[in-house]
Amino acid sequence: MKRVLVVTGVLLLSVGAVVAQQDVAVQQQNLMKAQGKNMYGVLLKVVKGETPFDQAAVNAALAGLEADVAKIPTVFTPNPKVDVVDATFGSSQKIWQNKPDFDAKVTPVTKAIVDAKGTAKDAASLKVAFDAIQAKCTDCHETYRVKLK
Amino acid sequence: MLRRILLGLIVAAAGAGIFWWLTIPAVVAPASLAAYTPNVANGLAVFNAGGCSSCHAVPSQPDRLKLGGGLAMPSPFGTFTVPNISPDLTEGIGRWSEADFVTALLKGTSPDGRHYFPAFPYASYQQASVADARDLFAYLKTLAPVAGKTPDHDLPFPFNIRRNVGIWKWLFMDGKPFTADASRSPSWNRGAYLVNGLGHCAECHSPRNVLGGIVATQRFAGGPNPEGEGWVPNITQKRLGDWSAKDIEYFLESGQTPDGDTAGGSMARVIRNTSQLSPGDRAAMAEYLKSLPPVEGPPRSSKAKQKEG
Repeated sequence: MKRVLVVTGVLLLSVGAVVAQQDVAVQQQNLMKAQGKNMYGVLLKVVKGETPFDQAAVNAALAGLEADVAKIPTVFTPNPKVDVVDATFGSSQKIWQNKPDFDAKVTPVTKAIVDAKGTAKDAASLKVAFDAIQAKCTDCHETYRVKLK
Repeated sequence: MLRRILLGLIVAAAGAGIFWWLTIPAVVAPASLAAYTPNVANGLAVFNAGGCSSCHAVPSQPDRLKLGGGLAMPSPFGTFTVPNISPDLTEGIGRWSEADFVTALLKGTSPDGRHYFPAFPYASYQQASVADARDLFAYLKTLAPVAGKTPDHDLPFPFNIRRNVGIWKWLFMDGKPFTADASRSPSWNRGAYLVNGLGHCAECHSPRNVLGGIVATQRFAGGPNPEGEGWVPNITQKRLGDWSAKDIEYFLESGQTPDGDTAGGSMARVIRNTSQLSPGDRAAMAEYLKSLPPVEGPPRSSKAKQKEG
């Protein structure tokens, strides 16, 4: 009986640990999704001409993006070792094998966003800035993001 | 007893003979190449369609024309290191003849008559035309030589025995160039040629069997990433049914998916090539991909499993 209790307890603890790790993974995913919203939900639509250029909305999206990108090194400090259930993308374990390089890849993204704040004055100039930001996102996704489906 | 040993020896010798015969590396004879003035501009298009730079460019530096190799490619059979294909005289292809190059690309055989490992996707490139191969060679010769020898492949026995690759080729290569389907449009055929031949899309976007051969019935249906983490998506209409041809074209040009995301992983490198193709070639690839019947890919374990840090 005692043995059963111990085994059950250990099992419950490890389930609890996996749930906690799932929370970490979800938190990390939410941070990236928030950036996706500004990047694709707002800026890309202007670039593609689906919504008209609105300086205030573009500025707000860039500011939101800048704030979220700055959080990446901290939010990605814990290694959840699990993927978000049914997610399309996950984190490569290479992030935690090479955290300084991962963190270093954030700096150019921030720089591209800061540059965009000064240069994006209409749809055409936003497109140039958008592509520059996108290229820096991809530089990191190429190594550290994993496609899961 | 003696008779039995003798019989055993004869059977073994015959077996070795058959193995030897089956695994003779194929070559393209120099004499079979008629006089030809290569088209360097087309060579550049072939270079971009073939995605040479995705693997052969020196990693972690921005110049995609610096073809000194060195990228490590993990696989279930060991780690391959991509060789130098710059025109360097000692470590690259600087001293190669045109026939050497055509043989390497279309037959997977090195100038010294050995099999290349199929990490080099010649099972797809075999469908390329000889003219495209010759144009590509002419283009590569215009690039800057990059000095430096890349490390050897790191493969355990028996995968390190190159002669065995002959059996792999016998099983998984038909040795046939691309043949056009007359019932389809010229652009569909161009797309089929680019996707199956030079583009070698099936090499990653198909599941493989235990011997590392593409599972023919699930061609383009995706599967586990042979390089390790993650999944390579199904690119038949099973998964891409709600992508229009325009969506695929735009993805190949910009890396952006219709649902507002971008290609990452190895596909980021692929997009750097496909973005350089002509709009017509991208449209042709999209037309062909839209014509692929939906095929169910291999199953995935849905359980969230603990990763090894």
